[in-house]
Amino acid sequence: MYNFLQLVRNENMKIYRRIGTWIMFAIILVIVVVVSILSKVFDDNGTGSLWSVMNNIESFTYLLITIFTVVVSAESVAGEFSSGTIKLLLIRPWSRSKILLSKYIALLQFALTLSIVMLISSFVLNLVLFGYGDAKTANEALGVANNSGPFSYMLQVYVLDYIGLIMIVTLSFMLSTLFRSGGLAIGLSMFIYFFGIIASGLLSMLDYAWVDYLLFLHLNLKQYLGSEEITHNLTMGFSLSVLVGYYLLFVAITWYVFNRRDVAT
Amino acid sequence: MAYVTVSDEQPIVRLQQVTKVIGRRTIIDGLTLDIPPAEVLGFLGPNGSGKTTTIRMMVGLMRMTKGDVLIGGHSVRDEYEKAIRHVGAIVENPEMYKYMTGFQNLLHFSRMVPGITTQRIDEVVQLVGLKERIHDKVKTYSLGMRQRLGVAQAIMHKPSLLILDEPTNGLDPAGIRELRDYLRKLAKEEGIAVFVSSHLLSEMELMCDRVAIIQAGKLIDVRIIQSAAQLADTTGSVLFEVDRPDDAVALLAKHEAARMDEGALVRADRETVARINAELVGAGIQVYGIRVLNKSLEDQFLEMTGGSPLV
Repeated sequence: MYNFLQLVRNENMKIYRRIGTWIMFAIILVIVVVVSILSKVFDDNGTGSLWSVMNNIESFTYLLITIFTVVVSAESVAGEFSSGTIKLLLIRPWSRSKILLSKYIALLQFALTLSIVMLISSFVLNLVLFGYGDAKTANEALGVANNSGPFSYMLQVYVLDYIGLIMIVTLSFMLSTLFRSGGLAIGLSMFIYFFGIIASGLLSMLDYAWVDYLLFLHLNLKQYLGSEEITHNLTMGFSLSVLVGYYLLFVAITWYVFNRRDVAT
Repeated sequence: MAYVTVSDEQPIVRLQQVTKVIGRRTIIDGLTLDIPPAEVLGFLGPNGSGKTTTIRMMVGLMRMTKGDVLIGGHSVRDEYEKAIRHVGAIVENPEMYKYMTGFQNLLHFSRMVPGITTQRIDEVVQLVGLKERIHDKVKTYSLGMRQRLGVAQAIMHKPSLLILDEPTNGLDPAGIRELRDYLRKLAKEEGIAVFVSSHLLSEMELMCDRVAIIQAGKLIDVRIIQSAAQLADTTGSVLFEVDRPDDAVALLAKHEAARMDEGALVRADRETVARINAELVGAGIQVYGIRVLNKSLEDQFLEMTGGSPLV
């Protein structure tokens, strides 16, 4: 069969030919620059470092990358339905599964690119502003209970947050496929995400076994970097298994529905 | 053409007992139809008769409840990718990615089928007359230009079947004429089977070799459209417009002439028409016009579909 990568290339073209995509990149870069410079300017007592600013940027701004990717995911499937272009896209010698897969891959690539842009720009800029420093471990640099090198620690933080992002984006990709409405997919997945964070905080205080299997308790994987176990004695391994379960469910529903559905827009 | 594997006599497309049931309603009921190569076949029916649903099932956008569609011998149900490989289509409006240019849109669809070069893209752009505007964003295009871009993406991969759903929607008379000539040319010169749906009868008469008429999900007739020349060879109703209708009717009594407001109506073939004319002129009757009143497709269509509203 003809090169599948051409389909991914098409999806990338559709993402990057939109002006909105470039605004998203610009917003991330502006935040990195502004936060870094402000941190330097207001660093009166000299406690700021490359690692602390990088870590702050990551913990406050990664959410934005998640939201941006959710917006792009909604456009990717629901947008094609509402514009009617889905009809021209599907009447090609490709199975629906592969067309959907190309969209999904392009989406994860987009999130990965945004993450890398944020990681590199915040690292380079703050390296210039603060210098590398002499902290040997994340413990020395950030005061967390972790003995990896500071850069390797930051990389782990990004990877774990990326896994959390994949879960939310897969959820919104599913909602986008189910409802064929971009607004609904964005709204609902963001609602579930934020409501889940709040509710899981409350629920985790309850002493029921089923609470351990809620998706939202496991999205914040980087909490395991500082300690082995957290509330409810959860471990990284357990969290990852729960996430895999949800992931398979989301993917199965998405592909099943997309393959079966009559296109009648 | 290299990839037309079926011989000329065999139909490119076979619809076999195609049925669609949604809920309890049977939308399409046992539709069976063959589409031969090198012919423009019209698909005519009132709004809501199931034209678009049939087309959606042919291109795999909708599932058939029963039956199958074979394209080039491949089943749309079981070998979709092979069946759809040689199909070009516009289903309803030619929706394109508005934020991209016409060229980027064509590039996008060309990547989904092997063997389409940028040279071929330029060729079809030239063919549909979009050369000047192809690098402009689609959102700046008029409806007619979008329609032409739609045709370009449908013929880019040299399909053996071209499906157009209501292709004249939103086109001005010049655009319709252009499209019509172009479709006929594709059918005759490239041997492509063209399947065009419409509810506009006059349009179908001009564009198609045959029309299949559908009503309430059922195929009720397939008939050949005759050209004016073919009609002249058969006996038909001919109206002679004259200055003295009563005299003309009396004179033409042996032809069983009927008195009309403007003149005399007779049933005659081509040769007889000439002789009658000579007789009238010989008798000193002024002949202002001779018109062949063949029953238009519209009349036939209304008769068949029981006069249900058309537009």
